Amino acid sequence: MDEEQLIPHADELEWLETNSFLVESEGEDDLPFIAEEIRQDDGDLPFSAALPRPHESQVSRKRSWSEEDEGSENIGEIIKREESGNKRRALDFLEREQDEDWLRYSPPQKKAPAVHIASESDVLMVEPPVKEKILSRFAVEIEGDCVPVTGPYGDRVYAKMKSSKTDIEGPKKQRKEHLKYGLLSEPIGIIIKKLDHEAFAKAFEENDCLSCHQTHSEVPTFSEKLWVEKYAPCSFTELLSDEQTNREVLLWLKQWDSSVFGSQVRSTTDDVLSALRRHSSPVQHKRFSGGETFFEQGRAAPFTRQSLKSWNADKHIENVNGFSESWSKKATVDHPLEQKINASDDRSSLTLESKILDAVQIASVTADSKPKCLVIDEIDGALGEGKGAVEVILKLVVADKKAKVEKPNSTQQSLSEFSSRRGKNSATLLRPVICICNDLYAPALRPLRQIARVHMFVQPTISRVVNSFAECDIRSCLNTLQFLNKKKETLNILEVGSQVVGHKDISRSCIDIWNKIFQNGKSNRAKSSTTNLNGHGDFEFMYSLLSNRGDYDLTMGGIHENFLRLSYIDPMMIKTVTCLDMLGVSDSLHQYIMRTQQMSLNAFQPPFAIAIKRLIALVDKPNIEWPKSIQRYRAMSLERKDLLKNWQSKISPIISRHLSTEYFAEDFVSHFLHILVPPTLRPIALHLFSEREKDDLAQLVDTMVSYSITYKNSKAEPLKGAHNNGTAKDVSILILDPPIGDFINFKDYQPTHLELSLAMKQVLLHEVEKQRILRENSGRSLNPGNECNKDSQDSTITKLEVLHDIITKSASVKGNDKPRLAMLKLENEDNHKNLNSKSKKIVSNTSVTAEVTGDLKKPSRPISFFDRFRQGCNIDSKNHVSNLQKAATAERDSRPFLFKYNEGFTNAVKRSVKIRDLLL
Amino acid sequence: MLWVDKYRPRVLDKITVHEEIAQNLKKLVSEQDCPHLLFYGPPGSGKKTMVMALLKEMFGASAEKVKLEQKAWKIDAGTRTIELELAMLASTHHVELNPSDAGFQDRYIVQEIIKEMAKNRPIDSKGKKGFKVLVLNEVDKLSKEAQHSLRRTMEKYSSSCRLILCCNSSSRVTEAVRSRCLNVRLNAPSAEQIIEVLELIAKKESLQLPPGFAARLAAQSNRSLRRAILSFETCRVQQYPFTVNQAIPPLDWEQYVSEICSDIMKEQSPKRLFQVRGKIYELLVNCIPPEIILKKLLSELLKKLDSELKHEVCHWAAYYEHRMRLGQKAIFHIEAFVAKFMSIYKAFLIATFG
Repeated sequence: MDEEQLIPHADELEWLETNSFLVESEGEDDLPFIAEEIRQDDGDLPFSAALPRPHESQVSRKRSWSEEDEGSENIGEIIKREESGNKRRALDFLEREQDEDWLRYSPPQKKAPAVHIASESDVLMVEPPVKEKILSRFAVEIEGDCVPVTGPYGDRVYAKMKSSKTDIEGPKKQRKEHLKYGLLSEPIGIIIKKLDHEAFAKAFEENDCLSCHQTHSEVPTFSEKLWVEKYAPCSFTELLSDEQTNREVLLWLKQWDSSVFGSQVRSTTDDVLSALRRHSSPVQHKRFSGGETFFEQGRAAPFTRQSLKSWNADKHIENVNGFSESWSKKATVDHPLEQKINASDDRSSLTLESKILDAVQIASVTADSKPKCLVIDEIDGALGEGKGAVEVILKLVVADKKAKVEKPNSTQQSLSEFSSRRGKNSATLLRPVICICNDLYAPALRPLRQIARVHMFVQPTISRVVNSFAECDIRSCLNTLQFLNKKKETLNILEVGSQVVGHKDISRSCIDIWNKIFQNGKSNRAKSSTTNLNGHGDFEFMYSLLSNRGDYDLTMGGIHENFLRLSYIDPMMIKTVTCLDMLGVSDSLHQYIMRTQQMSLNAFQPPFAIAIKRLIALVDKPNIEWPKSIQRYRAMSLERKDLLKNWQSKISPIISRHLSTEYFAEDFVSHFLHILVPPTLRPIALHLFSEREKDDLAQLVDTMVSYSITYKNSKAEPLKGAHNNGTAKDVSILILDPPIGDFINFKDYQPTHLELSLAMKQVLLHEVEKQRILRENSGRSLNPGNECNKDSQDSTITKLEVLHDIITKSASVKGNDKPRLAMLKLENEDNHKNLNSKSKKIVSNTSVTAEVTGDLKKPSRPISFFDRFRQGCNIDSKNHVSNLQKAATAERDSRPFLFKYNEGFTNAVKRSVKIRDLLL
Repeated sequence: MLWVDKYRPRVLDKITVHEEIAQNLKKLVSEQDCPHLLFYGPPGSGKKTMVMALLKEMFGASAEKVKLEQKAWKIDAGTRTIELELAMLASTHHVELNPSDAGFQDRYIVQEIIKEMAKNRPIDSKGKKGFKVLVLNEVDKLSKEAQHSLRRTMEKYSSSCRLILCCNSSSRVTEAVRSRCLNVRLNAPSAEQIIEVLELIAKKESLQLPPGFAARLAAQSNRSLRRAILSFETCRVQQYPFTVNQAIPPLDWEQYVSEICSDIMKEQSPKRLFQVRGKIYELLVNCIPPEIILKKLLSELLKKLDSELKHEVCHWAAYYEHRMRLGQKAIFHIEAFVAKFMSIYKAFLIATFG
């Protein structure tokens, strides 16, 4: 048995020996070879076999090293190792595929694992204590788990799966390590990525080859390059945009030649050239920019640029503004560009500045001999946040201009001096700068517009864009075409129309949208005639239009506001009903979305608008108005509610708690206005009233006070009126305060309640004031909290006397106004502050109170004040009044009087009133 | 003071309209504790009057000493702090407020205020901690979230405070809240009850009130007691010795609605609808609730309508009112109703008169 086994085994060994030499000799370039193999394999089978490869190569490397170390003598040892490796592999069913792969690319070793199993018994015999338990022909002999292994001649042995042997431990540890990384040395994601890159690069190359050879373009999937880039025009002649603009831009660019190439040669002095030569750039422009960097280093670089900016400094920056539609070849126009900066990506001004400077000042490192033309794309985007971009550019340009201005002055100066000054201006502009933007009139572009030459790129005409369908935007056209091509479908109009992908996000203004909804106008028709769109396409168009706008609340508001103004034919109001139904559903949907925050439901909003369009759109242009009425309604009702709230806070809570807004508006206000204006109230003197009338009046006044409503002069500025000595014209209009009458003042509505006469209002106003003061006093005297201690009372008494004197005095001054009614008010109030605030509260159109407060605020001039007082006393007509008042104050323990002087109050009956009568 | 407020019963004993309920409440309070209460009923049925009388019954005269507070709330709601100001009436024993004034932030208010009330409870004479009462008006206008937050706080702080909720319709109060309260329905007073009250007032004011006139007042008041009293006083001011056929001045907005109705009946076209819209806006601006407008509009239209259309029109009114409650812009829905009516009416006219 053993011998039988030995014979083939010896052969095998021999063969293996040679083979091992082979492996050994290949040792150095073994690894690269494998790697290459892998790569090729990957190209064919990118996913199935590729995954565990690096590990495999590592293993094989280990193997070869070990063979090198131990030489070829101890083949058994090698075999053992091989075997252990193989065993391990056998265990990992995951790696089976890898095994096969490995077997495939290294056929000489294919036999080894198979063979050594046969030789195993031999090895076992050589080293019985070590190998005893590892392999056996009988599974029973092996402790623990085992696995059956079959040799090439059908021999079957069982191999132990685990062993504590040291030489097996190594790979085991290794495996553990691998397990940590998921069996691989590198994470699988990275590997996949790498492979993808490789596959992509390969495919890309192939594609390039294809395009180079102009072979079949039917190979469809390889054109990974976007068509937009692939078919971007390479020369000016290919451009689609307006010829004239193209030529102008070209001309402008040509104008730079003098400054970039020509003049420099002329103006650069020899020493500079020699200095520059050290930078050893073969091309002229490169030398020039080398000079720039050199210059930056602060070394004396005395070159002048006499004619550098001579041609036109104002054309220095050119705004290539194509603001009509994006990508009307704006970016493609400038093709000899080498540095392109997308300003909207590099938001911060700092990075932008450094980029610009880099682009302008540093030469292109590549050997092609073109100077740099700086193109800044999406400059309007740069302004949104950074705002710095324009400033940077401006700074550059302005610096140049300054330099130009300085130049004549500095001609006499030495060149070095000049250069040192220039050295501070680190940023100079020697290159054309092209800015591209969508919106020329973006506010932040304003400064740039002044210094730049503006080219406008209009939408390419339809004749020029042959294949245009996506809103004349070439880029989206191309993208759509490519997308369709991918699907390998024949192009028909309907499908093109139904492509949502082709449409870029076009947002229009609201007015545009309303116009589109209400008008089946020419623009739509023209479009549908050119592209043969049917209703379906129209729907798509409207849908994208509306959903791009998004603000459905406003959109629907605008529709609601305007649709009734259209003169659509609707005899039975059916269309109108449907429209309003649509609006209603849209409204409740909107509310639902807002409440539940399920914004995705907004997708169902546009169809409402489209349905409305189907119903009522007309051919002629509608007269759209911005929807104001809902806003107005909200603002007004808020205003009204505020008014009510304020009023409520003035009314005592016992009443106001019942006075909710709804109750007020529904029930209260109409009746209240009626009650406020009793028709029985005659405009006569109060004392002529009958008892019943007096009762009525008293009740009315009571009501007005408790609901804190009064009349006020609608011509504001009562103080001013008082200073004009209270001319009667100011009193002409008295309105309710707060103006609750507004609540029923509907448009085209004649309120049912009456209006009181002016005189009556004045009587009421006066009575209400009187009543209110009385009530406040009684309320205060009842209120125990307001009492203050004696000493402060004393001080206030003197002050109050003074106050009282002023009152008398000012009354006398105003004597020529013939006050018809003088009211003296007993003031229980001890606290000076309270009095002061009270006197402010008293009807403010009396100049007396105004003066009182005014004078009290200025106690610093008491002398003149008393002078006036004496003067006032001299006027005899009022003498007795003040005397009497003084007596009264003495009598009443210095309880002060408040004199209230009503101006402009007319009463038909005159009657002399004694102050005494008024004192209770 | 107006009669409405002047003759408002201040104690439970004096309440005449819902006498039985008042007596029951009195018994409830006499047991020193009472559950949460939910009063509901149509406007003008005396809910607030009942609540105030109840408070007085609970706490005595001190419940009437209320003051208006503009309280600024600072509520910490997780990630942000909400600041809002809310007016409320407060006495030592109770707090009264309109949580729906807080708009969509009402639920924070509801929770916060109850917590705050639980913190400073008044201590009664025996040194025991009493409970405070929180009166929430217009609970049906509270958002669902606020009502849900209410039910939790209601249970948590039930030892320290009692809630009295007032609303017009209990159907818009969640079941959870309703089940935690003792529901008290105050129905609209009947015409007889209104006449009774009017006569009482007339007696106190020593006026001669002809019974026929009182009946007319009651009929026109739409079973709202306060409206009846208000119009009674208006009539008193207009013309005193009452006559039976004395004109009762109409409410201005109702007058305006009936003008709108006659506009609608005269012409049915989009143009006319546009005019109507302007007028409805006028009403809305002046704080007339849109539901009320729609209701009045319907009742005015029904007056002038052929009976065979009435059912259909009512149906559509209900339909659009439902829509209106779902939506946000009331004008859309009122206008839709008007348009629908116009359409129906026009079709009817053409069918009838050719």
